[in-house]
Amino acid sequence: MQKAERLLDLAAFLLRASEPVSWREIQEQFPSDYGGSEEAAVRKFERDKAELLELGIPVRFVSQDDDAGSGYLIDRDEFYLPNLELAPEDLALLYLAGSVALAQGAFPYARDLVHALNKLSFAARAAGASETAALAARHLSRGEESGAANGAAVKASTLEELSVGVTAKKRVHLVYEGAERGEKTERDVDPYGLYQSGGSWFLVGHCHLRGALRTFHLGRIAEAKVNTAAPRTPDFTVPRGFELREFATREPWEYTVHAPVRCTVRFDGPIAPEVRTSFGRRAVLREEAGSLWVELEATNAEALMRHVLSLGERAQIVAPRELREKAKSILALLLRRCG
Amino acid sequence: MTKKKATEAPPKAPAKTDPRERLRRVLFLVPYAVRHPGIPVKELARKCGVSEAELLEDLDFLMGVGCPPFAPDDFLDLYVEGEKVYVALHQRFSRPPRFTESEAAALGAAAQALGGDGVSRVLETLRNCVPPDRRRSFDELVGRIYAGSPPVRDSVLGRLQRAIALRREVRLRYYTASRSVEGDRTVRPYTLAQRFGHWYLYGYDLAREKPLPFRLDRIRECSVSEARFEPPGEAQLSLARLFSEREPIRIRLGPRAAAWALSRPGVTLIERTPGRGSLVEVAGADEDWATRFALSFGGEAEVVGPPSARRHFVDGIRRSLAHYL
Repeated sequence: MQKAERLLDLAAFLLRASEPVSWREIQEQFPSDYGGSEEAAVRKFERDKAELLELGIPVRFVSQDDDAGSGYLIDRDEFYLPNLELAPEDLALLYLAGSVALAQGAFPYARDLVHALNKLSFAARAAGASETAALAARHLSRGEESGAANGAAVKASTLEELSVGVTAKKRVHLVYEGAERGEKTERDVDPYGLYQSGGSWFLVGHCHLRGALRTFHLGRIAEAKVNTAAPRTPDFTVPRGFELREFATREPWEYTVHAPVRCTVRFDGPIAPEVRTSFGRRAVLREEAGSLWVELEATNAEALMRHVLSLGERAQIVAPRELREKAKSILALLLRRCG
Repeated sequence: MTKKKATEAPPKAPAKTDPRERLRRVLFLVPYAVRHPGIPVKELARKCGVSEAELLEDLDFLMGVGCPPFAPDDFLDLYVEGEKVYVALHQRFSRPPRFTESEAAALGAAAQALGGDGVSRVLETLRNCVPPDRRRSFDELVGRIYAGSPPVRDSVLGRLQRAIALRREVRLRYYTASRSVEGDRTVRPYTLAQRFGHWYLYGYDLAREKPLPFRLDRIRECSVSEARFEPPGEAQLSLARLFSEREPIRIRLGPRAAAWALSRPGVTLIERTPGRGSLVEVAGADEDWATRFALSFGGEAEVVGPPSARRHFVDGIRRSLAHYL
């Protein structure tokens, strides 16, 4: 019997049983599947059980005082998806967040997300939210298809592969194009987590080539392959105290490139709210005579300069002087080139 | 009794699909068809994310599934009649299984990135919908994906989510960047969307009499009114991400900048010259966005067209440079 069929048969069998089913009986009912040597049959059954659990179907062994009553069962309460008792706005949060994430074209566990949204539609109906979100998701994903030819599909499959590594704690082999020199390197990485920042995805993990924690931009990962040996045995443990959030909320000018430098940025005139928040939680903002002054410490001043340039004509770098001069020369160069 | 097909066996189709994916799909498909008797094949296929032919293959596969002792009534029985799907025997697959930890974690990570008053409540609910044995892995996995920081205060988002769900109009305190002023807007909130990495509310602006995108991080306050509105149609929602129907903007980038730019959503490669960089196109962007985007690459990018976008870029540089002189 094919595996997919066997797994469903087994699930149907255990769901129907009102009492735990003994191993002996399972063997009798599935003679061609769990025949052969006892050891091989038990291992095959254990693998099947693990696969069922990965599908959301928990098979439990219940041991009774007398051996006769011991056996396997699927507890229906543990199996069936319960109704989600959530307020309309909370359902809207789930539907909107889920469908927008899918519409991005690349999201970790994208396939799982599709299944999750389907299950959600089964377990909780929120007239407005679910329909609106589902409709939007369909249209949005259609809109993204054009992007697929542009490498988005490749990115999505890389993200899917890395997601597998993160969940199962399996090492991944990467072919990576370095940002500065543009050369390709191959390395093994223990994937600790995935984060999104400014519309791009990043992998954080222990890099075996550098022997240290590293961040990888997904757009620069040319190839990613999860170690397929012993799929249910983790290759590593994530160190205690590792906080993905710390990496994810780090601003580009906080990447360690040089020693810390105090920087000052000034804005004149009305300032959009997102500009204030764009400097992150560690920046100090003060307003004085109609201007906004931002003070912060940068360890990658070049990134700060790019950020300030992108904020438009009301922003300028005040200090340090060299950074101000650099911004000035870039603008002058661009003007010469374009003017 | 040994297992045999309950009805005449269909010819075995080559299993093109991943068997695990198929299992996950049918564990949803069967209960969904139980709940919606006579659902059209087309609709069920769409709901399951497969073609009609693939759905029919799934139904064939399910005909062979049952439980010992495999008597005729021990098999799953789904049949198609007049292009509609019916379930005669569901063998207790009447509801889908609970969330797997990665399904719940993916949804949880998406919810955390959007934010709102309800984030901790929905995370707790998702956790309770994972089989008890897998809840610890769920907790761990939720901490391994960070899909972004919420764009606006939780209370503002909570009210917007409520208004979208209940189809109520909202009053927004909104900053309009093109005029650099903050003002009040009354909006019928249709849905939320993301564009170029930013979150937007897409809704009908009553004063301007048309649907418009509103950046969430420019909404200072939001209150939900009593006024209800009719749900938007499909055509209306399809515009939610197409914020501008103007000609796409073209940007030329140096080799280093090109790699970064192309990893961003919505940026399409037009032409690559080895060693000299690339020409890219961005559809649906406005001129101001394009200028800022190009400048975020330092001196390595310039807006090249259409002419009005180019002028906007050059004028922007000129005005920025004036601060440094």
